Amino acid sequence: METWRERILQFLFPAGSNTWLAVLRLGLGLQIILYALSLENDWTYLFAGTGSGLVSRNLGEAILSLESPFVPRLGWLIALGEHVGLSEQTVLSIAWVSLLGTGCSLLAGLFCRSSAILAWFLHLCAAKSGAFVSYGVDNFMTIGLFYLMLSPLPDRYSLDWRLRKSRPKDSQVLGFWRRVVQLHLCVIYFFSGLTKCLGSGWWDGTNIWRALTRPPFSIVPLEILVRWKYFLPVLGISICLIETGYPVFIWLKKTRMIWLICVLGMHIAIGLTMGMYLFALIMIILNAAAFGPGVSGTESKGSAVARCRPASV
Amino acid sequence: MRQKSVYLACFILHFLLIITVSFRETLWLVARGLTIFPSSSKSYSAKAEKATFAARGHNLAASSALRQALATYLHLAGIERGYGYFAPNVPESYKLVLELHYPDGRVEYQLPRVNRAAAGLRVAGLLDEIGRTRYDPLREYMVRMLAYSTWRENPDVTMIRAVFGSISLPSISEFEHGKRESYEFLYAYDFSRIDKATELETP
Repeated sequence: METWRERILQFLFPAGSNTWLAVLRLGLGLQIILYALSLENDWTYLFAGTGSGLVSRNLGEAILSLESPFVPRLGWLIALGEHVGLSEQTVLSIAWVSLLGTGCSLLAGLFCRSSAILAWFLHLCAAKSGAFVSYGVDNFMTIGLFYLMLSPLPDRYSLDWRLRKSRPKDSQVLGFWRRVVQLHLCVIYFFSGLTKCLGSGWWDGTNIWRALTRPPFSIVPLEILVRWKYFLPVLGISICLIETGYPVFIWLKKTRMIWLICVLGMHIAIGLTMGMYLFALIMIILNAAAFGPGVSGTESKGSAVARCRPASV
Repeated sequence: MRQKSVYLACFILHFLLIITVSFRETLWLVARGLTIFPSSSKSYSAKAEKATFAARGHNLAASSALRQALATYLHLAGIERGYGYFAPNVPESYKLVLELHYPDGRVEYQLPRVNRAAAGLRVAGLLDEIGRTRYDPLREYMVRMLAYSTWRENPDVTMIRAVFGSISLPSISEFEHGKRESYEFLYAYDFSRIDKATELETP
């Protein structure tokens, strides 16, 4: 029993480099910037309350309150702004600029922890207030930012590391958070693959056809798709296998690289053929951070580990 | 060692929640006969789904502190929903056509508009949400909001007829035989200036 416990602890708390955290921070910084820029002209329209928005933010927030009144939302910031005489539009603009600022700050690695917390909070507010206009990308951004703000920042490539000489104390805690991201990805792909396997359309290519012809994802001309019709069932089955097999084959040394390439390839293809660039990017970032560093066995573990104080167990 | 035990306890709780939520979604699909599983599996799945509901505190009163704490944590961590995107099958997509009636009898047709493609994806998600909802007043309210947003850009319009429908996609063989995407009528709502002034309220 003791041996099992030790094995589990060894697995969950490996001492390792913080390169993965740098990839996550840089990736999420870039993601936040692109997210903010992509919504620049529609931000107020999407998140305004009754009277000036696309669909009332108040409606989304009212439904959210039925679940829990403690989930962050833009309504809190707007109510706070009203106390100091700021209009809804001004508060929304400040929120957008702040979000963009946290993205830049994360990219530079300046004030990493506070930037990560602020980015998570502001993005969460937008995602929850605009629940009717949010989709998968918001879900995965929340997951990524949640883990980033809890991880032992800063990483060695950040400006904080160079300028402020702040260092995380425990290399095993660093390893723990990487394991959390890795295992979460395994659960994500397993259930995503499993539910696809349960649908008949993924085995005969029907769902690939439907996904690629369904507005607004219909970027590839149908005439071109028809030419590849015999390839669609292969593609559908491959997606099922890649996703369901992810929790196994991503851990085996021999298949890790192949699986990672397949998954990244799948997300690049989704981005290019369906126009879901932000969704593709967040999935690439999470995979690259979780399994990228060390995938080819070239990661320089020693130097990074040496800079962190070993865990006091 | 104590620090590790705390991390381990949090880890177990966190992943129990993730797996429970993911299982619940899968069981929901099976229970509603949306998968390739035989219909005999529906009742078992429905029972199992109820158990996962209980694990998330959904059998507690809505005002229960535990239920609200769990719901809050799920939202904060981004783990409140499962990962069955486009699964088990790709869902239908929907379209909203707004018929704008002007005082001079002129009629124009518009779709809900946004500035960039990224927001366009979000509007498509909103239309899916409207199409999926089974609660008529909520559906009407959301369509009304979309119509009202168009009204702001076209203040001269006296009446808007919002026609909501599903998009029927051809299969590969149908496409090869010349069939193209078609639009199937589901609901229609008329909003006049009086509606605009009186019925748009905060929920």
